[in-house]
Amino acid sequence: MTAISGSAAFKTDEAYTPEGKYLFRNSPEGVRRLPFPFPDDDYMYSMNLEPHVPAGDGALRAAFDIDEHYVSECAHRAQMLSDMPGVHYLALPHMLEAQWDLLELIFESYARDFPEHFTLTKNGNEWRWQNRLLGIDDSFTFGDPATLPMDPMEYATRQAQGEFVVLEEKDNTLVIGAGMTTQRADYSLKFNLGMSFFEFHGPVPKLHEMGILDRALKFLLRMKAGHPVRRVNWSLTVNPRLETSVETLPEWAPDRTTVTSENAGEKVYLRIELQPLHRLPRSNAIVFPVRTYLVSLAELVEYAPDWAKRIHRALGSLDSELVDYKGFHRYHAAAVEWLSRHDDGAPLASGYPWAPDGIQPNAH
Amino acid sequence: MLITGIKSRPVYDELTPMASGLNHLAAAQGSGGKPLVRLLGAMTPEQLAATTVLYSTESFTAQNYLFDLQQFRVRELAVFATNADAVRGLDASLATAKMGTRLYLSGSEGFIGTSMQVATSYGMNRDEVLREHAGSFVRRVWCAHCGHYSENVTHRVFVCPGCELNLIVRDHYSGRLAAFQGVKADSEVPGEMPENEELDT
Repeated sequence: MTAISGSAAFKTDEAYTPEGKYLFRNSPEGVRRLPFPFPDDDYMYSMNLEPHVPAGDGALRAAFDIDEHYVSECAHRAQMLSDMPGVHYLALPHMLEAQWDLLELIFESYARDFPEHFTLTKNGNEWRWQNRLLGIDDSFTFGDPATLPMDPMEYATRQAQGEFVVLEEKDNTLVIGAGMTTQRADYSLKFNLGMSFFEFHGPVPKLHEMGILDRALKFLLRMKAGHPVRRVNWSLTVNPRLETSVETLPEWAPDRTTVTSENAGEKVYLRIELQPLHRLPRSNAIVFPVRTYLVSLAELVEYAPDWAKRIHRALGSLDSELVDYKGFHRYHAAAVEWLSRHDDGAPLASGYPWAPDGIQPNAH
Repeated sequence: MLITGIKSRPVYDELTPMASGLNHLAAAQGSGGKPLVRLLGAMTPEQLAATTVLYSTESFTAQNYLFDLQQFRVRELAVFATNADAVRGLDASLATAKMGTRLYLSGSEGFIGTSMQVATSYGMNRDEVLREHAGSFVRRVWCAHCGHYSENVTHRVFVCPGCELNLIVRDHYSGRLAAFQGVKADSEVPGEMPENEELDT
C-alpha cells in the first residue's frame, strides 16, 4: 500500500501565488505524513545527516517523495519558469553529464517507488518515459540532448516536486553548477551559481563558528553513489507561497507585516525542507534536492496536535540570530502567542517522527 | 536576512613573481599600479622580458602609477583610459596566450572581479592567478530585482539606477557576477529604511 492511494487524491486546482488567491490546503493524511523537523523542544542547528533509507509510510518511504500537491506544484513550476526566464533554472555549460545523471536518478526512483503513476522502459539508450499524472509519454535517447525538447535536467525536474541544486566537486569543495529552484527560500540562484560550499553558506549565521560547515563538507566529499543521505531543515513563510526568492522579495516581504496573534494560525506556514542528497554516478556531482512542504499552524493544531505543541516550544526558545536569519523577527512573537493557546505543556516524545519512539502527530 | 558578517567576500593574495610561469600577464587599475610596481621590481630581467603589462588609468581615488610602470623593461605596456577597456584588452591577450601563462591582477574589487570572469572563461585555474586588492573598497553591486550593475558603490544604502528601488548592499559576493548583492532595503515596510553607513571603502 502506498502513501497515496490513487490519482483521485491529487489536487489540481491549488495555487501558491496571491494572483491564485493561495488556494492551498493539506488533507489530514497529508499533514500526518510530513517529515516534521523538530525532534526536541529546543532547536539548534546540527548536521543531522542520516542514511537516506526508506522509513515509515510517510514522506520518507520513497527516494523522492511525491504527495497530493504533485500536479499543482508541477503547474506552478511551469508558470514560474515562463514568468521569469533565466532566473529559476540555470546550468553551467559543462554540467550536461550531471544533468543526465539526475534525470536517470529521478525517473528510476519515481518508476520504482510509484509504479502506478510512472513507468520507465529502457532498451539500451532508447528510453520511454510515461508520467500518467501529467499525461506525458515521451521517447528519447539517453545521453543525446537533441532528442529532448529542453535540457535533460529541466525536462526531469519540471516533472518533479522540490528544488534540485547540482554541486560539482572541484578543488576539494563543492561548487553550484546547476539548479532548478522555483521554490527557493530567500536566495538567488543566478547570484549563487558558481559559488563554493563555504561561499553559498556565507549568509547562514553560526555555522562557521560551530565548525559544522567543515564537518559537513568533509562528509559530503566522502559520499558514494548508491548511498544517499538526508537531513531536514525548516523555516516559516507567510501564506502558502513556494516562490520566495531574493529576486521577488519586494512582492512577498510585506506579507510579514500582516501577521497578528489572531490570524497567525491561518497566515503562518511551517516550511519543511527534506533534503535527500545523492552522489551521481557518472559525473561525480552531488545533487542537493530541497523538497519543500508547507503546512499552516492551524492545520498542525487540527491534525497533528502534538507537533503543534512541539513547534510552539521550539519557536519560543529559538536563538534570536536564527529568528533574524530566517526572516520572521517581525511576526515571531505573534506566532508563538497563537501557538501557546494550543499547548498544555504535556511532555512530548523525543526524536523525529520516523525514528523508533519519535514524536507522533498526536498521542493516540 | 543577514546583511553584514557574510563570509563570501574574496580573500586576496600578494603579488609575487610565479617562478613556474613562462609568460606573464599583469593587469592593474588605478591604485593597483603600486603592487604592480612592486611585482615588476621583484622580477628577473628574463621574467620582465616575458611580461605584458595592461594598465587602466581610471581611478576612484585619482592614483596614477603610469610613470613608475614605464621604468621597467617589459615586453609590452598597454595603457587604457577605462577599466572596461583594460578588461577587454586582457580578454584579447588571453585569447592568444600560450600554456604556462601566469596572470597577476591588482586594483579595485570590481576590476579584479571582472578580470577574473575573463580569466575563468579561458579556464585559468586559481593557482595560475594572483590577485591583490589596492585602493578603496568601493563595490560593484548587482541589483537582485532588475539585474543592473552599479559600479563604485560607497554606501550601504543607495538608489538603484536600473529600477529606482532603495537597495541595501549585503556583504555577499558572487565571483561569477563579480558583484555584491543589492536587495530592496525597505522591502517589508515601504519607506522604513535601515540606517545608512559608509561601506568599508
